[in-house]
Amino acid sequence: MKTEAKQRIPSVSVDNRLEVFSHPAMQKASKGILYVILAIVAVFQIFPIVWLFLFSLKNNQEVFNMSPFSIPTDPKWENYAKVWTEGNISQYFLNSVVYTVAAVILTVILASMVTFAITRMKWKLSNLALGLFMVGLMIPVHSTLIPLFSTFTAINLVDNPLSVILSYTAFNLPITIMILLGFYQALPREVEEAAVMDGASLNRIFFRITLPMTSPVIATAAIINMIYNWNEFVFVNTFISSDQYKTLTVGIQNFIGQYTTDWGAIGATLMISILPILLAFLILSNRIVEGIASGSVKG
Amino acid sequence: MEKVLSDKRIITLYVLPGLLLIIGLIYVPIIQTAYYGLMKWDGIGAKEFIGLENYKTLIKDDIFWKTAYHSFLLAVFSALSLIIYLLISIVLAGKIKGADFFRKIYLIPMLLASVAIAQLWLKIYHPTNGILNTLLGSFGVDNPPSWLADPKIVLYAIFIPILWQYAGFYILIYYAALKNIPESLIEAARIDGATAWQIALKIKIPLIMNVIKVTIVLAVVGSLKYFDLIYVMTDGGPNGASEVMASYMYHKAFRGFDFGYGSAIGFFLLVICLVVTWLIRKLTAAKEEITY
Amino acid sequence: MFRKAHTLMALLLAFALVLTGCSGKEAGSEESGSKKTIKFMHLWPAGSSKQQNLIVQDIIKQFEAENPDVKVEVEVLENEQYKNKIKVLSSSNELPDVGFTWAAGYLQPFVKGGLFTSLDDVLEGGLKDSFVPGTTEAYAIDGKTYGLPLELNIAPIYYNKEIFKKYNLEVPKTYEEFETIVKTLKDNGVAPIALGNKDRWTGSLWYMYLADRIGGPDVLTQAINREGSFEDPSLAEAATEVQNLVKADAFNKGFNGLSNDEGKSEFMNGNAAMYLMGSWELPNLTTNEEVPQEFRDNAGFFKFPTVEGGKGDIDSWVGGPGVGMFVSENSKVKEESKQFVKFFVEKWGEQAVTKAGVIPATKVDTEKVELPQLYIDVLNELNKSTNLTLFADVQMSASVAETHLNLIQSLFGNEVKPKDFTKQHEEALAKEE
Repeated sequence: MKTEAKQRIPSVSVDNRLEVFSHPAMQKASKGILYVILAIVAVFQIFPIVWLFLFSLKNNQEVFNMSPFSIPTDPKWENYAKVWTEGNISQYFLNSVVYTVAAVILTVILASMVTFAITRMKWKLSNLALGLFMVGLMIPVHSTLIPLFSTFTAINLVDNPLSVILSYTAFNLPITIMILLGFYQALPREVEEAAVMDGASLNRIFFRITLPMTSPVIATAAIINMIYNWNEFVFVNTFISSDQYKTLTVGIQNFIGQYTTDWGAIGATLMISILPILLAFLILSNRIVEGIASGSVKG
Repeated sequence: MEKVLSDKRIITLYVLPGLLLIIGLIYVPIIQTAYYGLMKWDGIGAKEFIGLENYKTLIKDDIFWKTAYHSFLLAVFSALSLIIYLLISIVLAGKIKGADFFRKIYLIPMLLASVAIAQLWLKIYHPTNGILNTLLGSFGVDNPPSWLADPKIVLYAIFIPILWQYAGFYILIYYAALKNIPESLIEAARIDGATAWQIALKIKIPLIMNVIKVTIVLAVVGSLKYFDLIYVMTDGGPNGASEVMASYMYHKAFRGFDFGYGSAIGFFLLVICLVVTWLIRKLTAAKEEITY
Repeated sequence: MFRKAHTLMALLLAFALVLTGCSGKEAGSEESGSKKTIKFMHLWPAGSSKQQNLIVQDIIKQFEAENPDVKVEVEVLENEQYKNKIKVLSSSNELPDVGFTWAAGYLQPFVKGGLFTSLDDVLEGGLKDSFVPGTTEAYAIDGKTYGLPLELNIAPIYYNKEIFKKYNLEVPKTYEEFETIVKTLKDNGVAPIALGNKDRWTGSLWYMYLADRIGGPDVLTQAINREGSFEDPSLAEAATEVQNLVKADAFNKGFNGLSNDEGKSEFMNGNAAMYLMGSWELPNLTTNEEVPQEFRDNAGFFKFPTVEGGKGDIDSWVGGPGVGMFVSENSKVKEESKQFVKFFVEKWGEQAVTKAGVIPATKVDTEKVELPQLYIDVLNELNKSTNLTLFADVQMSASVAETHLNLIQSLFGNEVKPKDFTKQHEEALAKEE
């Protein structure tokens, strides 16, 4: 069935394009316009990275004086050297990866379990539980800092990576559940129900059927979580004090001074820190599409 | 089957870990915030119980209501911009050539940290040598506005990068949702002679309605408690012209050392979000009946 | 089957990561053996404040060598994050043993809440005399000193000599001359003054000087400490003068939306002729290699001119001590911490200005140190000064400071009338009495 679906795609793709205008010439013209628009938006979306790269090769004088897209006459590659040699950047990097990966995995699994229980199982309090999770979306981070810190102090988790990972997980759970929810609700239940009939245990169904079936949305949620965690700094700054547990975002702070800020070096830090996440994004992003192929089993 | 699907042990096993985490790290702070909201407290010395005094002040605080209005405006714009994101996603999820390439490109800005986005837009909006004013200048505009200094413009000027920052987030969700629609359904409609437009409107959008509803809630709630770019780009200024509820809370609590009042704002913000979410759910529930 | 294995692997990985997180804990803050640990937080990251950071490291190394049973553990955060973290730590009574604070209004709640300890005993035995008079006083509340300042700054108006020469301008002695300069520059299409007023305290400096020159050195200070009133006519007059400057297009375009960094760049790239800022900018105008030599050679400064009929004199400055060191009241190693602070202040004074270009709050003998001429000039002015008015937002309590800063932005944006400007100040100040 799966291969069949795949084979079908190319054969229908011809009459599959925008068919607002049925006349072939019109169709071609509108397609042309569509591509022009798509391309313009694409340029607009890619220019931040280009800008960031140019930014990272400038010193303060050039950052403020030159037009944002001018290429510096004397590129300051030393910004990268500065960033790379200053402090424990490799340690920060590792910490960033560990916190992000751990929190993403934890969040996605916990959120999937909760969503599964809420949408697939029958219990009286499921709506209440959902409501409880949704409230988590609504609290501004800064009003939680002082209470959270005192909580972590009480349970002796201050200056412990666990405080950061758990906070990331807790604060991303609501949004992740919300994202999963829409998909679970749209997903046909037949496969799972059939499995129940066959006498499969729920654990088995969840891990072997539901999780694989939802892998496109899991990839989506993972991307979103990953970006949030990777760029987060308020929790790290507040809960962590030892240098050995800090993340890449302190690299940015490192170049902010009392009275002067080294913008070029900040640019270089941002550039370095975007590369791994870009890579992870591209890989996970393919999962969304690949997931569809396996998901089409149900169709 | 009923019995299997209402297995209390499994439900507990699946829901409890997440719930405990939420209770410990979100509910406990919420309760504490509510408690601090009843105190006169600078965050340092002793707390003094003053009952609902902070809330009374809040209700009469013109500045707070101004920031609330700003936040609501942002929420409205965010919700409206979902339409554009949905359109883009429908195009990208269709089988046009290079869709995969475009999709990846479109999501790149989402990866950037807020610091980077803020810096970029500060360069765009710079009054003299910014990209926007240079462009306007070359079109012969004589005295282009100072985007972030003019109290009448600044709020709208700062909405644009905020909306842009989140575009990728919603496109990604819509895209995944659209890709999840069984091909056979679309196929069947096509065989019946439906146009792409009809397919989008009659099949695709209704099928991902649940996801759309979720995104509306996310967009609105996310906007009501929005903080990041405002803080970095204008710091709520000039004189509060771009201040939103969360930045006002931050300024009161962390800059003004009035943590009691800041907590009251934080808690009130939560209540507003709850009410608005409830309203959205009511409204979208009605909509559902029309679409189907 | 593959899928299940996959998920299980992921789960295992997650737990493994969490576990590594747990096990890392012991390496943290616990006292190791008989060694005592002083926790010290500062705001000079190695990246942006390399010299300061090195001096700190150096001093700690020396201190640890002299006190082998004491270990100093450092945490560095940038300014804004530093302030936030101090706030959070205070609320849970978890302040570091030693840290940085600001003077007067910032300090007040910490002292009132009993979080900082008095450093009077540290100042005894001669240390007090090594400070420039008036600096430690800014950290005193009810006669006790709670912080030892590390920096001392005054705010001159820097100017671009080349631009001045081009338009035949002389350093102004009176405000009238200054206004003529502004007009000349404006007429020639040069932005007279660089200002980034998003940060608000930048604009406050202009207001403070005008208040000083018009009403004399005490009027603003007394309005803030409630010996006087903010509705003093000279304070409204100063506000009017600020708006006159704005109306005369004295500042670069869009200043209310620009950060100090952006505003400063207008001066640094030669677009604007003048820039009123603290003496902490001196390295950028003298030794900073990133700034073109030609520009640095053309940078000078002058004193804020006197206003005719005003009560202020030209040697009265806006400025004062910057960050200072505190010792936590609840520190378990209070004695060691005090020793450390004393040691730090002494050592810092010896090398701050020569190595980092930071003017310390302790006395500097300009005869003995080798410094760029601009530094010597500023230090000499400092010695000649008749009055130092501490930055208004530092003098005020945190919440009044917020009001002040917002009003400054409105004043510069022509959104508030001078009368209302002073009235709203008065109300905010009166409310706190």
